[in-house]
Amino acid sequence: MNNISFGKRPKNPLLKRVWKDMLRDWKRYLMICLMLIVTIGFVSGMYVANNSMLHSIDESVKLMKREDGHFRLSDMADAETIRAIEEGDIPVTVYEHFYKDTDEIIPDDEDYTGRVRIYGERRDIDLYDILKGRAPENGNEIMIDRMHADNAGLSVGDIIKAGNAEFEIVGLASFVDYTTLYESNTDTMFDALTFDVAMTTDEGFERIRANTRANYAFTYNDEPDGEYEEKELSDKFLMSLAEISAGKGLEIKDYVPAYANLSMTFARDDIGKDKIIGGVLLYILTAVLAFIFAVTISTTLEQEASVIGTLRASGYTRGELLKYYMSAPLMIVLIASVIGNILGYTVFRDMVAAMYYNSYSLPEYETLWTPEAFIRTTLVPLILMLVINIVIITRTLKLSPLRFLRHDLKRSKRKKAVRLPKWKFFSRFRMRVFLQNIPNYIMLFVGITFVMLLITFAVGMPETLSYYQDSMGDMMFAEDQVILSRTVDENGDIIATGADGAERFSIESLERRSKVYDEEVSVYGIEKGSAYVKLDETEGNSVYISQAYADKYKVKKGGTITLSEKFEDREYKLKVYGIYDYSAGIAVFMGNEQFNSIFGREPGSFSGYMSDNMITDIPEEYIAKEITSQDMIKVADQLDHSMGSYMLYFQYVCFIVAAIILYLLTKIIIEKNERSISMAKILGYDNIEISSLYLFPTAVVVFFSEFAAIFLGYKLMDVFWRMMMMEMSGWFAFKLPVSGLVKEFLLVFAAYLIITVLDFIRIRRVPKVLALKNME
Amino acid sequence: MSSEERKFLSVSGLKKSFGSGETRQEVLKGLDFTVGKGEFCVLLGPSGSGKSTLLNILGGIDSADEGEISINGDKLAEMDEKSLTRYRRKHLGYVFQMYNLIPNLNVKENIETGAYLSDKPLDIDELLKILGLYEHRHKLPNQLSGGQQQRVSIGRAIVKNPDILLCDEPTGALDYNTSKEILQLIEEVNQKYGNTIIMVTHNEAIKQMADHVIKLRDGRIRHDTVNTEKLTAAEIEW
Repeated sequence: MNNISFGKRPKNPLLKRVWKDMLRDWKRYLMICLMLIVTIGFVSGMYVANNSMLHSIDESVKLMKREDGHFRLSDMADAETIRAIEEGDIPVTVYEHFYKDTDEIIPDDEDYTGRVRIYGERRDIDLYDILKGRAPENGNEIMIDRMHADNAGLSVGDIIKAGNAEFEIVGLASFVDYTTLYESNTDTMFDALTFDVAMTTDEGFERIRANTRANYAFTYNDEPDGEYEEKELSDKFLMSLAEISAGKGLEIKDYVPAYANLSMTFARDDIGKDKIIGGVLLYILTAVLAFIFAVTISTTLEQEASVIGTLRASGYTRGELLKYYMSAPLMIVLIASVIGNILGYTVFRDMVAAMYYNSYSLPEYETLWTPEAFIRTTLVPLILMLVINIVIITRTLKLSPLRFLRHDLKRSKRKKAVRLPKWKFFSRFRMRVFLQNIPNYIMLFVGITFVMLLITFAVGMPETLSYYQDSMGDMMFAEDQVILSRTVDENGDIIATGADGAERFSIESLERRSKVYDEEVSVYGIEKGSAYVKLDETEGNSVYISQAYADKYKVKKGGTITLSEKFEDREYKLKVYGIYDYSAGIAVFMGNEQFNSIFGREPGSFSGYMSDNMITDIPEEYIAKEITSQDMIKVADQLDHSMGSYMLYFQYVCFIVAAIILYLLTKIIIEKNERSISMAKILGYDNIEISSLYLFPTAVVVFFSEFAAIFLGYKLMDVFWRMMMMEMSGWFAFKLPVSGLVKEFLLVFAAYLIITVLDFIRIRRVPKVLALKNME
Repeated sequence: MSSEERKFLSVSGLKKSFGSGETRQEVLKGLDFTVGKGEFCVLLGPSGSGKSTLLNILGGIDSADEGEISINGDKLAEMDEKSLTRYRRKHLGYVFQMYNLIPNLNVKENIETGAYLSDKPLDIDELLKILGLYEHRHKLPNQLSGGQQQRVSIGRAIVKNPDILLCDEPTGALDYNTSKEILQLIEEVNQKYGNTIIMVTHNEAIKQMADHVIKLRDGRIRHDTVNTEKLTAAEIEW
């Protein structure tokens, strides 16, 4: 043997190839990377912003001495009663927390009509975070909620009128007990557009001409240990409170423990839930991208079968090849995670925070560096990418080197081609293309379904809101409903109205209790022969329920419902006589006398008036509540304000995501067939003919996938929507009119058409020599 | 050459068939032969004679139904999947009719894919010179001629200095002159590095440059001869 020189073992040259692979196919990797960066960035931003905001909300509970609950009595309690309550079965400290509800008038904005709840100076309980300006110092000054101020276009220095008094706004604040502006805890949705919370000095409070609500906040002397104990304490405290107040001739008008107070909990819960939904969306998208990667790599394995066979025959292990083929997807996830997290902590954090500050009255927050964001946006996607790709790649790499060398990578035993009917040549050719690409088309279907689910939300949400905004007025059985605080005046005369067509009615608020949510149900007593609510005569415990009630709780005619008194154990079992076509609320209807009998009232009793004409002749002090169609629409208005504007952007995002997914998958199909396309060119087919052979099957798949995906997306959305509504008061059915479905279809198809142009260019660029190179 | 070296590779009673039932086809019908260490052995035969199947079984990428193969005392039949991979990694180099190079690695990097498999690979620069590829070391495969690409694939196989170099029709896709250049290169490699070379070909002329010629037909050995007067690659013609 001649002199032989030996060298050093080089580093794995396949790893050098990873970068080269990524550069060679930079468009694909860039698309996937961008999609991941944006999603990871947004979700990371969401985790960072949400965690920081949640931390700030939690911190503020103690710092700002948030109440453990409040109760409102029919009249002010004397010191002895307060002492008795404080020393009851559950020792508490009670704070006077009086407020006045009145109209809010903005002199510079004549169109504006709103309500404001004004408190006197808050010193010991339910403090606030001043976000702009300062606290009021004299009787002419007021500090209002920052969120409402933004919505109403108010700022420090502006003037508002409330209860016939004029105030200068000197501060904008977030009140610890009103992070979400719920006027009543039984409202379906908060209302930061027309409902305001404010604080003035005690002097200023006196200037307001409106009823003082005998509201009391309380804190437990012994802090409960956890939510369960808090609930238990709250129940016991309520019993003790009910007993004491009844003994003093006082009625409990309202009782809301902190854990059940939507004004305090809704924002927190929503922020927490969004975080989870954001995480789930990220995981679904990562899984879709991981499958796209896996399909891409599977195609590469087919294309590089000879090389893989040679490497395996030379002694490369499956592990070494797996490591190589896994490198690109993992590197992409890592790169996307690093960039995404940087963006998440900067740009997206601010964007997400702005979204919440556009809905809720949150205190200021400091960015919290949270490891959860890193784990959920880096480790989990990395693991998902790893597992999905390992499973799919390993399946192929398990084949023997010989099968790679022979390009025999099919797992099915079928050796013969599927027999096709005697169609025309082009049709059979297209069918072959379809059959060859079934795994890609399955991925295409999954991708389209995923996008369609997002689009269903993005399109359906504004459609639903706009439907309710447009039709809520029509759904009301009377344009105006006035609920009286008393039905006789000081002289003993029945309070009456001269409004045309006014009818008496009775109303009672009961609860439909469940483990998930205690729903408030409005029980109406309707006059016989009413022009507004047309009922058959019912008797005993037979009642009508509203369509919304039937839809939400899936109750049918003949069924039984059980309702409970709000703060008592008394239950009413009612039999459903019929479903009344009323979708604006969860309600029960019956004859007025039947109502009086069920609730033990004197015959002829009533609660208020309803009319299609506005009832304006009843003095305000006799009015407990007035419900107009505007009140019903505010739910949809608030949702529209909080989410509606984002939905249009979300539709654009969905369009881009659809285009990217279609781009990635159709690219694979063309790459897989490049050699055949090249051969077809050599045989004399022109680009149009070739495109019709290779693009037509994809177009058909996209077309049918869209229909199936629209159906699936709608069904899934319906389920998600129902789940969401079951935790809320009231009922909105998810509405997606045909125009919405068409919009969904067109959005994805438009994305597909753009990609088809790119595919056509790609087909045109396939060189003829390709078919002649490296043929085995 | 000692008797052990003469039986460096030993094959006995080797059988292989494909398919089952009526479609069953016996490709190798009981082969017995030995190949000596450093020998240049040519497996000759027409298409379908079983020579490529035999080469694949010798290379551990296919398995025999019956019989035994022993290489330097190691019995292939006793090896599991992992051991076979280790065996190929340590002892074998493969050259195929198609070059199967990695398209986006340059000449040197393609050879490095072979060098990576060995703890003590040959000096790559020296090998590139022997292969006549030093000037082209930074080129990508698609910038090379067919002959040059086959040289790269030989380089990739030989760089780990394998005990056995298995060549499956290495000149099958090349023209006459290029084929001769490749044969000269294989001859040079055999002489310089002393690897045992087993080459499958249907080109009768190549047998003239071999030490040992095994002729197969219908799955059986028709001739197993040792060349006493062999020609150089440059001398053979067809």
